[in-house]
Amino acid sequence: METIKFVDVTKCDGCRACMVSCKNWNDLPSEIEEFHGSYQSHEKITANTWNVITFNEQERKDGGLDWLFRHSSCMHCVEASCEKACPEDAISHTKFDSVVIDYDKCVGCGYCVQACEFDAINLATYIDKNGKEFRKAQKCTQCTDRLEEGMQPACATACHTGAIVYGDKDDLLASAEERLAKVKERYPNANIYNPQGIKGTNTVYLLADKPSTYGLPENPKVALSQVVWKDYAQPIGKAMLGATTMAVIGSFIANSLNKKNESSEGEDHHE
Amino acid sequence: MEMTRRQFLKISGAVAATLAVIELGFDEKGAQAKSKEFKIAELKPTPTICPYCAVGCGILVYSKGDDVVYTEGDPDHPINEGSLCSKGTTVRQVYTSEKRITKPLYRAPGADKWEEVDWDFALDKVAKNIKETRDRTFIHKENGLTVNRTDSIAYLGGAALDNEECHLLQKLFRAGLGLTFIEHQARI
Repeated sequence: METIKFVDVTKCDGCRACMVSCKNWNDLPSEIEEFHGSYQSHEKITANTWNVITFNEQERKDGGLDWLFRHSSCMHCVEASCEKACPEDAISHTKFDSVVIDYDKCVGCGYCVQACEFDAINLATYIDKNGKEFRKAQKCTQCTDRLEEGMQPACATACHTGAIVYGDKDDLLASAEERLAKVKERYPNANIYNPQGIKGTNTVYLLADKPSTYGLPENPKVALSQVVWKDYAQPIGKAMLGATTMAVIGSFIANSLNKKNESSEGEDHHE
Repeated sequence: MEMTRRQFLKISGAVAATLAVIELGFDEKGAQAKSKEFKIAELKPTPTICPYCAVGCGILVYSKGDDVVYTEGDPDHPINEGSLCSKGTTVRQVYTSEKRITKPLYRAPGADKWEEVDWDFALDKVAKNIKETRDRTFIHKENGLTVNRTDSIAYLGGAALDNEECHLLQKLFRAGLGLTFIEHQARI
C-alpha cells in the first residue's frame, strides 16, 4: 500500500498544533523570533522548526480578503533534489516513500540545502563533547519512526480539523478530487499540488489559490546537472576508485612476490 | 614473468582477499538509513485530562521513572479523538520546564522579593488570612434582611475543575464562608 500525507489547506484554521506537536515528538528546541508584521510565528522552516504554518493575506476580486493558511514542511518528493545533491548518500527514501537523512553519514556540507526548491531542509549547528562545532542537515522525517510502529505522523495526529491526514494514496487522491470540486465555488483557483516534474510528492496539497500565492514553485524539477552528477558521474567515479585501488594493491602484491622470487632464486633451487 | 604454481595461488588468493575487502568495506548501500530509537517503546501511557480549557481533552502521558517523555492526544477519548491544540500539546512542560515552581513562595507585606516557605506555613497563612478577613468584614444583616455574606474575598475557579470539585468549592465558599464573588476563569 502506498501512503501519502494529504494537506487540505481549506480546512486549516491556523491553530499551529501541527507545529507544536512536531516539536513535542521530535524534542526540538523552541525558536523565538521577532515579530514579522503578520500573524505568522516563524518566517520559514528552519533546522529546528520542521513545519511552519504560513499566513497569507490575499485580496479577492470582489474586494474581500482571503486569509490563507498552509502547513508547510518537507514535501518528500518522489524525485528529491536533496537526495540527488547529497555526495555522501546520506539522504534516501524509506519504504513509506518518505525522504530521510542518515545523520551518521551526513557531513553537513549543505548541498541539499542549496538544492531544495521548497526551502524545507536546513543545517543545524551542534557542539560535540570537545567543544567543536559541527553541522547536520535536518528536516521533517514525516515521522518515519512513528510510521514504522503503525502510528500516524505527529502533525496528522494533532490536527483537529482533519486538514492533515495520512493514509492510502489512492483513497486520499480520490477524496482530494472530491473536495476540490466542492471548494471550487468559493476558491475558483483551487488546485491539487502534486507536481509531476518531480514525479509527484509524498505530501499532497489541496491549495485554495495558485501555488505561487503560497510561495511554491509552479513546476519544480530536479536540475539536470544533479541527475548527471548523482546517477552517472558519482557511480563511475566510485567504480574507478575501486578499480584503481584494486590495481594498485594487486600490482603491489604481485611485484613483491616477484621480487622475493628473484632474490631467492640465487640461493636455493629446491623448486 | 614466469610463475610457479604456488605463486599463482598466492596471488589469486591476495586478489580475492582485496576484492572481498573492497566489496565489504566500501558497501554504500549496506548500512541503510536507520531511524532514531523509538522513544516511547515499552512505555505504558497514563490517561489524563488536559488542565487548560473547558473542553477537557484526553491526553496520554508517557512517563519513564520520574520523567515525562512524551504526551499526546488520547485517540480513545470521545472529546478530542486523539487531536490536541497547540497549548494542550505542550502540557509536558508543566512538569519538565525549568521555570516550574515546586515550592510555595511568600512575599511578606512591604517586602520586595519572594521567599521560599514550607507548605505548613503557606496553608496556615492562607487559612488565617481568610478567617481574619471574613470575620472583619462579615455582613449579617442588610436593609433588615439576613444576608450573612462577605464582599472582601473573591473566588476564581478554573476550567479544569470537574462537577464534583465545583460542588465542593461552592459548598465551601458560598455556603460555608459566605462569598458572593465567585467567578470562572473562562468568563474573564
